[in-house]
Amino acid sequence: MCLGIPAKVIELYETNGLKMARVDFGGVIKEACMEYLPDVKLGDYTIIHVGFGLSVLDEHEALETLELLKQIDAQGEQG
Amino acid sequence: MKYLDEYRDADLSKKLLADIQKTISRQWLIMEVCGGQTHSIIKSGLDQMLPSEINLVHGPGCPVCVTPLELVDKAIALASRSDVIFTSYGDMLRVPGSTQDLFAVRAAGGDVRIVYSPLDAVKIAQDHPDKTVVFFAIGFETTAPANAMAVLQARAQNLANFTVLVSHVTVPAAISALMESPDVQVDGFLAAGHVCTVMGYWEYEALARKYSIPLVVTGLNQWISCTEFWNACGHWKPAGSVSGTPMHVLSAVLAIKRRRMLLRMFSK
Repeated sequence: MCLGIPAKVIELYETNGLKMARVDFGGVIKEACMEYLPDVKLGDYTIIHVGFGLSVLDEHEALETLELLKQIDAQGEQG
Repeated sequence: MKYLDEYRDADLSKKLLADIQKTISRQWLIMEVCGGQTHSIIKSGLDQMLPSEINLVHGPGCPVCVTPLELVDKAIALASRSDVIFTSYGDMLRVPGSTQDLFAVRAAGGDVRIVYSPLDAVKIAQDHPDKTVVFFAIGFETTAPANAMAVLQARAQNLANFTVLVSHVTVPAAISALMESPDVQVDGFLAAGHVCTVMGYWEYEALARKYSIPLVVTGLNQWISCTEFWNACGHWKPAGSVSGTPMHVLSAVLAIKRRRMLLRMFSK
């Protein structure tokens, strides 16, 4: 229950007024509610937690983070 | 997966660990707030690789473990009723009440069902208008939006037979309680990334200032954790703030603007 798991959005639709999606957890397909991610698009990777999309994985932020982490590493070598 | 493997670089982890070893100048007692962090740290052996000056203590961040006995007993009493379908996240079924657990209720003929999402419980209420469906709405900040959406959805569908037994708790309150206790001597916290995905980390900045402790928000993979130990210990400036490099890194890691989720929900 505690963990958020990344999944790819493969279909978006509406059920009872809620924004829903079929999501792919690396082969396992489930339904998840996307009501908290109004901007989510087909093909996005999202973190799913108790059946709800919590956040969209942002490629730009992921790249920026990796770059920052490499800078930490570089600082370590200098120190 | 893309942007997951990149964070599991053994060479970079070793360099960070070496840097922590080189930088550390005192003993640290660090609490990882979430059970998912504990799992990741133990599984990767990070606890064995960190310098001996760093000691880890497991935190309160398991909603299953911190659900009060009184509420578990209430859940068992409700689940035992013949007019009730009791629904819960699976983790709660093994938690012992005063005399038994929810699995025992189910074995004795009670209608206890595991749901993956609280919306599944709403669907059960739709399908069984003759029964009262109770959902055990437990959890930290991460499950609150989902549980609340189930309530909103039940109201939108005019379902009179859907109810929730609520046991929600928040991480900052737990951290405050720990820091106020004279028996607790924690020097820093690893806060849980998925909680901050929902809430942001604005509450943690106030806690860091108040108690003059580092709080570093982490993901749940070992290399990220390694980085955050680096942030927490090696490069902590005791000015009572979590701003600067660590949080800059974290803001990029977590994409944490989800506080608006709760705001949206309650403005409905």
